[in-house]
Amino acid sequence: MSPIAEQAVAPPGRSDLLGWLTSTDHKRIGTLYVITSLGFFLVAGALAVVMRTQLARPNSTLVSPHAFNQLFTLHGTAMIFLVVAPFAVGLANFLIPLQIGAPDMAFPRLNATSYWMFLFGGLTVFLGALTSEGAADSGWTAYAPLSEIKISTGLGQDMWIVGVFLVSVATILTAINFITTTFIYRAPGMTMWRIPIFAWEMVATSLLIFMAFPSLAAALLLLFVDRHLGGHAFDPSYGGNAVLWQHLFWFFGHPEVYVLILPYFGVVSEIIPVFSRKPIFGYTGLVIAAFAIAGLSMGVWAHHMFTTGAVDDPFFSFLSFMIAVPTGVKFFNWIGTMWRGSISLATPMLFCVGFLMNFLLGGVTGVMIASPPIDFHAEDSYFIVAHMHYVLGGGSLFAIFAALFFWWPKMFGVKLDERLGKLCFWLLFVGFNVTFFPMHLLGIEGMPRRVFTYPDVGSFPLLNSLATAGSYVMLAGVVAFAWNVVVSTRKRDPVGPDPWEANSLEWWTSSPPPEHNFDDLPPIRSARPVFDAHHPEIAKGGAG
Amino acid sequence: MHGQMWPSPATAQASVLANDWLLFGTAGLAVAVIVWGLILFSVFRWRRKGQTEGPLPPQFDSNNPLEIAWTAIPLLIVLALFVYTYRAEADVERLAPKPDVIVDVNAYQWNWTFAYQGGPTVQGSFADPPQLVLPLGETVRIVLTSSDVDHAFWVPDFLFKRDAIPGHPTSFDLNPSKLGTYLGRCAEFCGFDHALMDFSVRVVSSSDFNRWRSAHHT
Amino acid sequence: MVALRLFISSAVFSSVIATAYWIFSKEPTGTFLLGVMSFGLLFVAGYTIVAEREADLVGDRPEARPVDAAGELVGTYSIRSPLPVWTALAVSCVGLGIVVSPAVAALGVVAMLIAGVLFILQSR
Repeated sequence: MSPIAEQAVAPPGRSDLLGWLTSTDHKRIGTLYVITSLGFFLVAGALAVVMRTQLARPNSTLVSPHAFNQLFTLHGTAMIFLVVAPFAVGLANFLIPLQIGAPDMAFPRLNATSYWMFLFGGLTVFLGALTSEGAADSGWTAYAPLSEIKISTGLGQDMWIVGVFLVSVATILTAINFITTTFIYRAPGMTMWRIPIFAWEMVATSLLIFMAFPSLAAALLLLFVDRHLGGHAFDPSYGGNAVLWQHLFWFFGHPEVYVLILPYFGVVSEIIPVFSRKPIFGYTGLVIAAFAIAGLSMGVWAHHMFTTGAVDDPFFSFLSFMIAVPTGVKFFNWIGTMWRGSISLATPMLFCVGFLMNFLLGGVTGVMIASPPIDFHAEDSYFIVAHMHYVLGGGSLFAIFAALFFWWPKMFGVKLDERLGKLCFWLLFVGFNVTFFPMHLLGIEGMPRRVFTYPDVGSFPLLNSLATAGSYVMLAGVVAFAWNVVVSTRKRDPVGPDPWEANSLEWWTSSPPPEHNFDDLPPIRSARPVFDAHHPEIAKGGAG
Repeated sequence: MHGQMWPSPATAQASVLANDWLLFGTAGLAVAVIVWGLILFSVFRWRRKGQTEGPLPPQFDSNNPLEIAWTAIPLLIVLALFVYTYRAEADVERLAPKPDVIVDVNAYQWNWTFAYQGGPTVQGSFADPPQLVLPLGETVRIVLTSSDVDHAFWVPDFLFKRDAIPGHPTSFDLNPSKLGTYLGRCAEFCGFDHALMDFSVRVVSSSDFNRWRSAHHT
Repeated sequence: MVALRLFISSAVFSSVIATAYWIFSKEPTGTFLLGVMSFGLLFVAGYTIVAEREADLVGDRPEARPVDAAGELVGTYSIRSPLPVWTALAVSCVGLGIVVSPAVAALGVVAMLIAGVLFILQSR
């Protein structure tokens, strides 16, 4: 039995509002993060569909330039800060204590505080849209001097600063919880080399958060001082430096994109073995690769600044190329897991295969733009938009759906409908590629990003219309998912502890788990304790 | 002005850049095809119907020689790519000791000023986008800056852009190698009319350039 | 042991990168950021060296069974508390107040102080 004393209080019911507001249970908090991030996803996705509709035809006047600039600012800010990262945080919140056999996180109240700060921070960013001059409109990157008070005069930019700052602090606090919990609260026998890959990826992610977010916080504070307290950090007419913003922002911004992908490397590392009926291939290599990626990612930030002529291009280009190596190692490990396995293409696995296919292209274009001569043409064009969406959309988003379909039974006690799931996958996969593949060509042809319209030249109209059509197909896929949730919730097919025949500890306990997580624990002698318990003839056990 | 899919390299630098694109594009495509192939092969070759029938497949989970190989080989490949890239960039960014023409380009919200040193100043306006006239085969030095926020000087047919950052003038050379008129765009988000800051570049023969220059000299 | 190796290798790697960056670029901003990061990691690595001497986590013993950890009271924690949402609200008021209305910011500061006191009392 768990050695840690607890108060005997019943968990909140679904309609117990006060219970949800005051819960410090990692599973409740994780669920709140997941639901909230999905809510922001719907909003940010809707903004994208509006943008794509505006861009379907050249010289369209559907959306004004000012409105369009707010749309892509909110879309980027929300997707990065309020969807992809918080979903991973929520998943990790739910899973990490379960996967390592702990009863909760190390700091439950801090954990809850992080969630509410994230929620209020996110709402603050959007609240800017209600001000007289509208929401922030200088991009999610808020380059100074564009974001300075002289040019971005509205309150929306300030609310963006406050909201993102709140979310940043929340994220740092969460990282503290993850690292402490994983290092200290593991169950007997759960050595660090037996924790799931997902847990390892979250350790690497948390380390990245510590190292990167303070730089963003500093940049935001300086921007605020510039805007309201007479500062001139980024204002060259007073001796400030516009390039400084870029250094501070990207020192955070690049590790941030690895914060946005490492958890999802962990997700596919959990799901692929289950649906291949084999252990994850190259566990040690995956762990070392995760930290190699994290470490290298701290040294590449100025590859976002190649075209400034202000940075040492070869230094950053070299390290950027190097990151391809551990990433490749991971890819080969995932293929090695599937190799000679017994593969079932259930919906979670479909999304993982989609992830692999999509992320590969994103990775390849990433290596291309790590070469400054290529970046001289591609930077700030739709080639970059294509690259980032292939890794964030084709990668992280697909992994989000894989995670939803895989862990939904564990979180909510019902399985999502499999046929609707497959429909959702195909709509998203086809829609995603039709939307974003043409953007490579648009970029090469010369279409810059963050433009509310474009001239009627070359293939611009055709490729843009194609991209817009793809976005509507993606919308259909999201609707299919929402419908799936409704249908499955109504059907309420109950689920046992281990519907997928999986490997890690969360599949030992009931679906959903009791508040204290475990009534008992199996012996933990490998990285697959639940598999070992069900397959004693194969278990490594004392012989392994 | 152009309207084709692939920009046609119009400067000597652009030819180097185009080769870089070709190399990386080919290498990237090759890697993608191989890895996509491996992924799809495994999925189709070892696919099973149904959830949990049959015996477990062989439970191998490591292969040290293989893992070392697939770390070392990509490492060598990216090192080779880096060496190539380093040389290509040095080539493209080389500044000639004595350029033939120097143009001070100033970006501002939301247009451009092209101030030829010793020559005319071309001022853009919303109704009349500015045109940068350049001589074929000569070395043009662009000194780029901005008077307000970050912009970027991008000519897709030169396969090249440089950011225009206030307080941070930056220089690069262009050696136009093809006659024609090329579209130019602002490529760093700079506010409301960022999308409406297009300009053009016209490459003419040396004699035509001199004629244009003396005709517009005020 | 794992934590130790992780933090020491991170600290060493970071210091090497920071030094290499300065040598190659002489660029102050990036060097400062990498330097601060290295210093922080070195600090954590040093702390881990000291902490690991005393550590004997039941989770680190590969042959341990659940019964090995039974019986001892490791600590208590709450599963219900109004302080998190209250603190988050207070911090948000401060942030929003700084931008929109000083009165709201002052309210937020007071609420934060109350939360701080209650956190301390609750932890006794």
